[in-house]
Order: sequence, then structure tokens, then C-alpha cells
Amino acid sequence: MTDRASVYARIIELIEPLNSKKVPLTEATTFAGDMEMDSLTVMDLVASMEDEWDIMIPLNMLPDLETIGQVADAVTGLVAKKG
Amino acid sequence: MASNPPADGAKAPTPTNDSLPLRRSDFRTLADALDYAAQGEKGFNFHDARADLVRAYPYRELAADARRHAAHFIAEGVKPGDRIALIAETGPGFAAAFFGAIYAAALPVPLPLPTSFGGRDAYVDQIRVQLTSCDPLMLLSPPGLHDIVKDAATGLCAAHDWEQWFAGEAPAVDLPQPLPTDIAYLQYSSGSTRFPHGVAVTHEALLANLSAHATCTHAALDDRVISWLPWYHDMGLVGCMLAPMANQISVDYLATADFARRPLSWLTLISRNPANSLSYSPTFGYDICARRISPSIPVAERYDLSRWRVAGNGADMIRPEVMQAFVDTFAPAGFKASAFLPSYGLAEATLAVTIMPVGEGIQCDLIDERTLSGASADARADQRLPTRYRAIVNCGKAVPGMTIEVRDEAGHVLPDRKIGRVFVKGLGIMAGYFRDPEATEACLKDGWLDTGDMAYLKDGSLFIVGRAKDMIIINGKNHWPQDIEWAIEQLPGFKAGDIAAFSITTPSGEEAPAVLVQCRTSDNDERVKLREAIKSKVKAITGMSCVVELVPPRTLPRTSSGKLSRSKARLQYLSGEIQPFEVAA
Repeated sequence: MTDRASVYARIIELIEPLNSKKVPLTEATTFAGDMEMDSLTVMDLVASMEDEWDIMIPLNMLPDLETIGQVADAVTGLVAKKG
Repeated sequence: MASNPPADGAKAPTPTNDSLPLRRSDFRTLADALDYAAQGEKGFNFHDARADLVRAYPYRELAADARRHAAHFIAEGVKPGDRIALIAETGPGFAAAFFGAIYAAALPVPLPLPTSFGGRDAYVDQIRVQLTSCDPLMLLSPPGLHDIVKDAATGLCAAHDWEQWFAGEAPAVDLPQPLPTDIAYLQYSSGSTRFPHGVAVTHEALLANLSAHATCTHAALDDRVISWLPWYHDMGLVGCMLAPMANQISVDYLATADFARRPLSWLTLISRNPANSLSYSPTFGYDICARRISPSIPVAERYDLSRWRVAGNGADMIRPEVMQAFVDTFAPAGFKASAFLPSYGLAEATLAVTIMPVGEGIQCDLIDERTLSGASADARADQRLPTRYRAIVNCGKAVPGMTIEVRDEAGHVLPDRKIGRVFVKGLGIMAGYFRDPEATEACLKDGWLDTGDMAYLKDGSLFIVGRAKDMIIINGKNHWPQDIEWAIEQLPGFKAGDIAAFSITTPSGEEAPAVLVQCRTSDNDERVKLREAIKSKVKAITGMSCVVELVPPRTLPRTSSGKLSRSKARLQYLSGEIQPFEVAA
């Protein structure tokens, strides 16, 4: 149950309670620009994704993750690497 | 950190006590301080996000690594006074590189880590601006960040991954002997992202401040420091890395990014420490811990905060109601409100200017909000309105060697209980801003440092009313209005002077950035577009969501010398004197 589609669907569920501005969530929605998430909220989300898939999202990945789609790709990759 | 697997036997943390006699930072230089600490058994201990020990790093091992690194530096042509920029990741790699530069009498310059999703360009840009300011020989980073930060160094200096750069045999060289009056390091936690100021601190000033810090916190046997504060800020670097080393105290670290993910791991580390804990945090750190506790978490069973001897407060405005919420939440775990230790300081004064006496906790004065906003008594509009009071925290008395004056706008020293600007003089004051005589002269005259902060004194205790240097502090991070204004100036049609950024206080007591922009268009649709464009530009460049108000041309107030006055703009906006355009979306 860790294909890209299910990862994406679960990420959307995890973001929903943090989406205080009720922005429509799509692949291209950005965390900073569209959802206006501050860095603490983002790290909160990172922690819940790490718990969900028992992965570790390294700090140096974060600067390149702008959109929900990119995060879903990164998580899918990390889960696959875990094997 | 993850790239440094623990050596065999390194799974035991460094001890809290050993047989080496304690010395309170009475050394000539930082190098001498590390040489002394290396004679004992204590050191740094790095933990993962779940508060499990990953690597114990005794001062002895740190000193040995740093001496090897210094030899590499010198063999590569590093001369005393050269700058070595270092990405300040919490871990052995940065610590060894930092002290390697110190042993080589070069100036280490800690630079920030990325902190959130996205913003690669903004991060690279920030590092680039800081590299331009400090003009280093090289930039060293942890292996994982090399790909990102090497872009920032292009055309400015060499960039290396520190593991590779320090690999291989170090040649035998003589280490230089820096003088106490030499600059030890540069710090960029002060100054804006766009217009950074490198605070230059001498060995002498640093050690004087660290000694004062140890005296004021009664640092002694059985003390252990616990910290998640970033090493690219003065409280993290000076207060929680250099101070414990120079005072021979063991430290348990949690990386800042791990704290942000799992803040309660901080309290787990404190709970597990069988000795006394000294641990500091800005207001927001206490705030997120208290908020993370849900009724289903058995606080008394899970945490033991009874040996938390000093819970330091500082680095931002101390908010008493947040601290009270923390006490209410963690009293069942043995947390004592008297452990709170308010302080006031700034990088330009190395770290600490005032510290509350240990054991007295947070004490407040209640002051009429109108007095604080600078309104004179007769200008108080409606006497029927209820008076709003703000609690102002007692930040304690000057640390040994530091003298404080509160002055009015004309520069006269004010009596007790009168609000004015804080000036400090003494042992810990910076030598100046690196290669910036103009900025140095603007704040440092005859040894007196103009902090730009507003406060009053009462029986020798300092009560900070506001950080008047126009700084905006959000979640412990300093933001500068210049950066917001600069971002907007990048849009076509705007120039400096059209824009005033400042912080406002939301009803919940938190700070938020606001910006007033002079706008010439009268068309509502145009205004809507303009406001959105400004919002997204500010967000893209500074990472902040900002309240944007469009105001008529020529409404922003000036100082007598014709410069934009942010503080006046703020007052006039809050009082309604400046009326923004209504923009219907």
C-alpha cells in the first residue's frame, strides 16, 4: 500500500488539518506560497509523515520540495529505498 | 550527524562530573579554553530526534580533531585572520571545523541551515549575501548540503564538503598563538538577510561574557546543559556551545530540525538527565511544548522536570502568559516556576547583558499600554475606555563587567522607571561589525553600544519594553523590515521610501509582520492585483506571510533627516492616523 497514489492520498489527509486557509489541495499546491505554512507547521507535517511511513526525511531535501506533488515523490522514493 | 556513525564504545554519554577542577572561562583565548577542557572527560553528546544518543564527543576528541583540522587549514595557506565560512549543522563536523579555524587563528563564520519546505533559491541567496559580506577563503558544509551551498559560493570562494576536505593525513605544522585582543569569530545572527552585519567578537570579550554567564547561573558541579538551539544564533553558539565548553560542562544536543519535528524530545532529554539541567529557549520553544501535550498524555509519568535548575528565557520578548501555560502543563512533572531565568542580550554584546538572579523566576510590572506606545498623558483619548495593561518582564541585573544606561532621544541618561533606549558598555561588547565602519560607528561610540532596544531600569533591574531596532521576531527567528521592503522594491514601480514594514501584535499576543505601501492607482482591480503581487513577492523572498496595506502617496512619516520612520508609521497605523485604502477582493 505504498505506491505513489496511496502516498499522495494519505499526504492530503495529513495536510488537511493544517490547511488553515482551506486552499484547494492539488499536486501543484505549494506549502509556502499557497498554503502559507510557517516552518514550524511544516516540520509538524514532516514529523507526521515520518511516523506514518517510518522514514527519515533529511533536512537537505527540504529546500527542493515546493509542492505537494514533489513531497509525494520524495516520500515514495524514501519508502521504496527502505524496501 | 547521521554521517558520523558512533565509534565503538561511544554509546556512553560523557560524564557530568570529573576530577578536573572547574575554571570559569578564565582563559586567554578560546583555544586555551578547549585545551583545558580536553584534559577532562566531559564533552558534547548528539542525540537523534527520539532523544537517543547517537554520538558522544568528548572535548578531548574535539580538541584532537580540531588540531588536525587546523594543520590542514594552515597547510592550505590559511593565515591568521582569514575567514572560514561553516554551515552550522549541530554535530561533530561543525564543532571540529569551528575549533580547527580557532586553532589556526582564522575566523570561523557560522552560517544558517535550511529550515523548511521549498525556498532553495532564497536559502542559496542568503548564504551568498553572507559570503559576500565576510569574504571567506572557503565555505565548508556537511556532505548532504554541499550540492546546495556550492551554488552560493560560485565566483566568491571555494566550497567543500568538510568530510572530504579534512580526510587524509594532516601535515605537522606549528599553530599560531592568537592574542586575547584578536577577533575570535564572526556572527551573522544580527543584521538583516539582505544587508548583513558580521559581529566581530574578540577572545577577551567572549571569555569575559562566558565567565559572567557562569557566575550568574551559578554553574557548578552536577550541572549539565541540554540544548536544541541552532549554532548559527548567539544563544545556541555562545550560550550552549562555547559557554559549556569554556566552563567545562557536558552538553546533550538535539538538532534544531529534530526539535522542530519532535519538540517533546527536548523534555525527554531533560527528564533522563539524572543531574541538574541548564536549558534555554526563546518563548516559542516553551509554547510548542505546552501545546503538544494533550489530556491523554500522562505528564507526570512521562516526564521528570524536577531537576531542571535553570530554564533560561531570552532571544525574544518573554511572554509571561506562555510561561504560565508551560508551568500549568508541566508542574505535575515537577517543573518549578522558579527555574525560569529571564535574561536580555544581543550578539553585539557577545550574548548576555542582564540575567535575573537564579531562583526568582519571572517577575512582571503591569504598565498601561498607552504609556508603552509613547502617548503623553493628556493625549489619552477616551478616559471611559478601560485601561489595557501589558506585563513587562524583569530581565534582571547587568552581568559582571557590564554597565547599562537608559537614555532619551537627546542622549540624556534617564532616571529609574523612564522608558528610553538601552546603551551598554563593558567587557563583552563586540569589536565592531566586520569591514563596516559606517554601521559600527552608528551604534558604537566611546565604548557604549546603542542596542536600539527600549526599556526602563528599576533598582538596577532592566525591563525590556520593545525591540525598537524595528526587528520582527516570529517563532524565535529575527526578521528585518529592510528585507521585506527590499523584496517589494524588486517589483516594477516601487522605490525605497514608498514602503514601511514593521511588526504588529495580533490579539493572541504574537508578532506578525505588516507592511504599508504607498500606491498611486485608484482602480480597485489594480489594487487587488497589486496587493496579491506584493504578498507573493514578500513570501517568495522572505518566506513570511505579511499583512499588506495600500496607503495613499506621501502618507508615510519621515524623520527630521528625511528618512522613513518605521516606528512612527507603525504608531500612526495602529492609532488610525494612517488610513489604508479599502481593497475589495
